[in-house]
Parts: sequence; C-alpha cells; structure tokens
Amino acid sequence: MTATQPKPAASSAGETRVLTLIQAITEAMAEELARDERVVVFGEDVGARGGVFLATAGLQEQFGQKRVFDTPLSEASIVGAAVGMAVRGLRPIAEIQFADYMGPGFDQIISQAAKIRYRSGGQFTAPLVIRTPSGGGVKGGHHHSQSPESYFAHTPGLKVVMPSTPYDAKGLLKAAVRGGDPVIYFEPKRLYRAAKGEVPAGDYTVEIGQGAVRREGSDLTIIGYGGVMPDAEKAAQALAAEGVHAEVIDLRSLVPWDRDLVLTSVSKTGRAVLVSEAPRTSNFMGEVAYVIQEQLFDQLLAPVMQVAGFDTPYPYVQDKVYLPGANRIAAACVRVLNY
Amino acid sequence: MIQPFTSDPLRWVAEDGQPIRELPARFTPEVLRDLHREMVRAREFDKKLVTLLRQGRTTFYAQASGMEATQVGLARSIRVGHDWVWPYYRDHALGLAMGVPMLDLVSQCLGTNSDLCRGRQMPHHFGATRQNFVSISSSIASQVPPAAGNAMAQKYLGTDELTVCTFGDGATSEGDWHAGMNMAGAYGAPCLFVCENNQWAISTNLRAQTASESIHIKAKAYGMPGYYVDGNDIVAVMEVLSHVAQDVRSGKGPALVECLTYRVGSHSNADADAEKNYRTREEVNAWLARDPIVRVERLLEHLGAPVSAEERADLITATHREVDEAVLAAEATGQPDWRIVFEDVYADTPVHLREQAAFLREEQTALTDGAVRA
Ligand SMILES: Cc1ncc(C[n+]2csc(CCOP(=O)(O)OP(=O)(O)O)c2C)c(N)n1
Repeated sequence: MTATQPKPAASSAGETRVLTLIQAITEAMAEELARDERVVVFGEDVGARGGVFLATAGLQEQFGQKRVFDTPLSEASIVGAAVGMAVRGLRPIAEIQFADYMGPGFDQIISQAAKIRYRSGGQFTAPLVIRTPSGGGVKGGHHHSQSPESYFAHTPGLKVVMPSTPYDAKGLLKAAVRGGDPVIYFEPKRLYRAAKGEVPAGDYTVEIGQGAVRREGSDLTIIGYGGVMPDAEKAAQALAAEGVHAEVIDLRSLVPWDRDLVLTSVSKTGRAVLVSEAPRTSNFMGEVAYVIQEQLFDQLLAPVMQVAGFDTPYPYVQDKVYLPGANRIAAACVRVLNY
Repeated sequence: MIQPFTSDPLRWVAEDGQPIRELPARFTPEVLRDLHREMVRAREFDKKLVTLLRQGRTTFYAQASGMEATQVGLARSIRVGHDWVWPYYRDHALGLAMGVPMLDLVSQCLGTNSDLCRGRQMPHHFGATRQNFVSISSSIASQVPPAAGNAMAQKYLGTDELTVCTFGDGATSEGDWHAGMNMAGAYGAPCLFVCENNQWAISTNLRAQTASESIHIKAKAYGMPGYYVDGNDIVAVMEVLSHVAQDVRSGKGPALVECLTYRVGSHSNADADAEKNYRTREEVNAWLARDPIVRVERLLEHLGAPVSAEERADLITATHREVDEAVLAAEATGQPDWRIVFEDVYADTPVHLREQAAFLREEQTALTDGAVRA
C-alpha cells in the first residue's frame, strides 16, 4: 500500500468487510439502485437468475422488475436501449453476458453511445454503464475468454475501466454510474471469486482515470490491469526474492489512463514492463509504451517491454499457455534488467 | 397439403401414442424403431456426458434431452452429406443422427488430439466436413447470415442442395437473425430455417423474449412461409420438414419451421438449478409427460410392435459402451500441445506469429514452473 493506493475509506459506520470482486460489484449496484431511482439494471438473464455469474443475484427481488429486468437476447437491443434510456434521463447499467458478445452491440456502442454528445454539440448525452465479464483463464475457448478492451479504448467518447480488486470494483462502478459519459466496465471474470479484499460498507467512489501503485520498488515498473494483476504481483514477489525491487502499477482505467502515475514511476525506475492478456497487435499497452518512450526517452535504461496475449484467437485446450502468467512476466523483467 | 401459419402446432401422433391423422405409410415399425434407437442414443449420450463432466474430464456440456424428435427428425428429412447444415451448440442429436462419428464428437468434447477442431473450441462445439456440418459457434445467431450466404451460393452454383440453419428461440431476438432471414428472403435462397423452440433462453422465457405469439409467424415479414410443428412428435417433424425441404430445394425460396419442444435439463452445466431459479417443477413435469421417446414407444405399442424392456436396456447399454470406447480412444491420443495455438490462424503463418510461436517453444522447453530465468 502506498500514498496512491486509496485506503479503504472509513464509511459512515466505519465498517469494512472482506468481499470478493463479484460481491463488491453486486453491492455497488444495490447501493446505486437504492440511492437513485433513475438507475436501472438490465440484460440477458440478470433478473430471476441473477446473471450467469450471479453478479445481479438478489437485485430483482430487492428492487422489483421495473428496476431490474431481463431483456430479449440481443446485445444491439440492450446497448441501443441503454442509449435511448440515458438520453431520456435514466441511468442504465446494462450487462453484456460475456465481453465476447459485445460484437452484436458494437455498432450501438461506437456509433451511438460514443458519439451522441459530440455529434449533438452536447445537447444530448448518454451516461450509461455497460458491465461485462472479460478475459480468460476459465477454459472458455475463444467465445468466452476474449479481452476486447482495445476496440473500445480506440473509440473516442467512451471511458474504459477494468478493476482488479473488490475495493476498486465497487468504487469504480459507482463512479461510472454517476459520471456523465458512457463507460465500458470490464470485469476480469477469473478474479470474480479469486480476488478478495476489504471493502467499506458505505458509499465511496474511485475516480476513473487514476491508477494505483500496488507495490513500491526502484528497479523497474510493471504496469498492468485487470486479470493479470495477481500474476504481476507474483512476478514482483519472485523478483524480490532475488533482490530486485519491482514497482507494480494497476492502471484500473484505460480511458482515461493515469499517465502521471506511470511516467513518475518509470522516470524513477528507468524500466517498464507492460502486461495485458489481450492479443499483442494494437493492444492498448502499445499506447502506454509509446507515451513512455516519447516522454522519457532520455531516462530509459532499457527498451519498454510488452507481455501480451498471442495474436491468435483464444484457444480452449491451451488456455493456460496462452495467458501471460507470473513466469512470463518475470522473464520479461529479467530481460529488461539485463539489457 | 401441409399448411403454413397454423395457430396450433401440426401433429400426427398424440401423447398417448394414438395417431391423430393418418399415419403415413413410410412410418413402418422398422422405421419407427430406427428413429427410436437414434433418439435413445442421443438421450444416453447426454447422460454419459453429464457423467464425464462430473468426473472433470470435460468442462462444458449443453443437454438436448427432450429435443431428440426435432433433431433426429431433421436429420432424417435432409440429404446428409449433400445438403449443408449451420447448426447451433445444442445440436449433437442432429449431428449423431447425421452420422458424425461418436469418436469425433467425443474427441471434440474432450479436446484431445483426435478432435477435428484441434482443441480450439469449447466442448460440444463440433464440426464435420463429411456431413457438411459446419463447426458450431457459441455466438448466438451468428450462423444465420452465413447460412443465408451458403444457400445463396447453392442457388448461384445451380445445385440442388439446400442449407439448413438451426437456432433456439432466443436467437430470434438477435439482429443477425433478422438480417439473415431478410437476406435469404430477398435473394430467394434455398435455406431451411429451423427454430428449435425449447421455450427458454437460459432463464429467459419466450414470453419475455418476444411479443410475437409464436416464432413461425415472423417468417411472414421476410416473405417466406412459416410452419408450426409439434417438435416432440417425430412423425410431424419429418412430415413437415421433408415437405418443406422439397419446396425449398425446388426453388420456392427459403422457409422457416418452428418446432415446439422443451429442454428438460438445465441450459448447460453452468446453470445447474434451473428449477430452483426460474422455472417450476410442474412445468418440467408436464413436459416430461410429453417425452418424444416415450411417444414413439407408445405409437409402436399401438401398432402392435412394442419395444420390449430388454430391447430398450440393450440400446442403453450399447450406447454407454459406444461412448465409453470413444472416450478411451480419444483420451489415448493425448492433449494437443502448445503448437495448436498458432496453427490455422491464417492460411500462411505470417512472420509475427512465427516469432511468437518460437518464443513459446523456447518458453515451454526452458521455463519450468516457479523458476525465474536470469
Ligand atoms: C451473442 C450471444 N449473446 C449471449 C450469449 C450467451 N448465451 C449462450 S446460450 C444463451 C441462450 C440461448 O437461448 P436459445 O437461442 O433459445 O437456445 P437454447 O439454449 O434455449 O437451446 C445465451 C444468452 C451468446 N452465446 N451469444
């Protein structure tokens, strides 16, 4: 924990509990539904079933079918309707069952949600949240394991968020619901139950666009987001055992991303290893690498290295091999250190 | 004459096994026994795969129990290996009845080296060139526009083939479904669209899915006939589908057939407590009473040619043995290694993928778990 890692803020009751990532997400929705009548939650199977991962479990019971409801099986309808509702003053939280299925809703996201503010000169806006489980590690094959965040980070007008801790999951989701923009909120599904952490019982937000330092170090900076974070930290631990001190940064948001935090850290360490599980080509981390070399060219002690997914569809059987685990991250760090 | 746009599903055999319309001559006891055998085989395949799941030998399975008459009836209404099929992920009874070898199907479910899809896809997403059974995709309704295109090519090439495209009721809400239906209609493509309406899309009931009173009436909007069939009556399924297939094949353009059926199990293993969560025991029981396999048994009884308990037991044992043997044979071929990650991405592997493959080869040989290389 460091200064930039927000401490679990004392809530009104001062109470924190240990929650899983998915429990924190459910709690954020429950609190936002209770706080603001304009908030509605919908998507495929989010009602009685409580979502296929149970992120919305209990919400329909608690808030009724008017506030929490199932939709027809159509991502274009879900996203398009969210845009229309948002324009008319609601605060939709729409669930896309898997990030892999954003495809049928893609046009609504990039043509409508992302552009309505700009094309109308700010007369119409669509503040909405699209929540979706993403990433691999669950033996899902290519239609249940993809990491499509770069498509959305590439589209001006959208904010893109991906938490890796329960604390951030709750705070970022609340910030997303209350903000003025469409937010694509990716949930690293392999951390749904694996990531546990302290979460305040009360209200707080985590500002979209702020990264967090997960571990301080002076020799190099490992930068990641979402599902790779536990492995990034594991790699840093392994390096520490060899006397190498890696700083570990969790971006938490891709658009906007925390340039200051990243540049401050890399100017201190002189070395950067960027980690994400999305395919390498046009990976969002390429942008981070570009900015690091542009801003810190003189201070770099080694080329910036990227650890990413391969440029192949996500495989089913070799799912473990595909993901950049702690070993691959540590090996990249060693290469950068030995440069 | 078989009529489109009926308000009730077309049926030939009542639940108690009595024919309601004259039983077509082709449904001899021998033919009915063959259909029965194929349905039992699919049912027992379901049971075996659920066991394999419990044993952790596979990770995903979507049962078709209750839907066998629709799928087996469809398989017996087309020219296998001549016509083309764009199926969806619940279609193993269709695949089995079309002659996809048990070993191929099981290998795909286990992701072994004997898997024709090479361990890339989730279990239960098979494909087979010999049957023109195009590899299944998880993405709902994404097969519908390509099926229309497949049929357009058949018309363009002047073949007498047709394309079959199957999907669930939920799929008919996707934009792709409407786009594909419209395309096939506008071009007059020989596409036979078959909706396996099992009334639930995971936990979403048809009533929440659409305000249409049925799926088949949607055909009207796309300029094609829509037929409504009792999907648990294999005689009805085959009578309607073979009639419609003949029309489609003879250049009358596409058609939609809605088979009303029910999935009695859960959506998949990721949805274990369907009854607890979203549907009632009574509803499931009511549909269990309409079991398509039992209906054929009752029909055979009515015809004076009953399936004996012994025959039935033999069928079950034979299928279990068939699956067990396939599992052992598949597992003996081992799991595909890291190379499958990089093959079949492009026709020619581009240089950046060759580099990534070389990286992985080196990592796989040199890096042991827990070690950090200096
Ligand atoms: C585009 C897309 N969205 C969501 C899903 C997740 N999903 C898998 S199966 C399913 C329900 C499909 O229902 P239906 O089409 O009626 O077929 P059934 O499973 O009932 O046979 C859903 C929503 C998906 N696979 N693809």
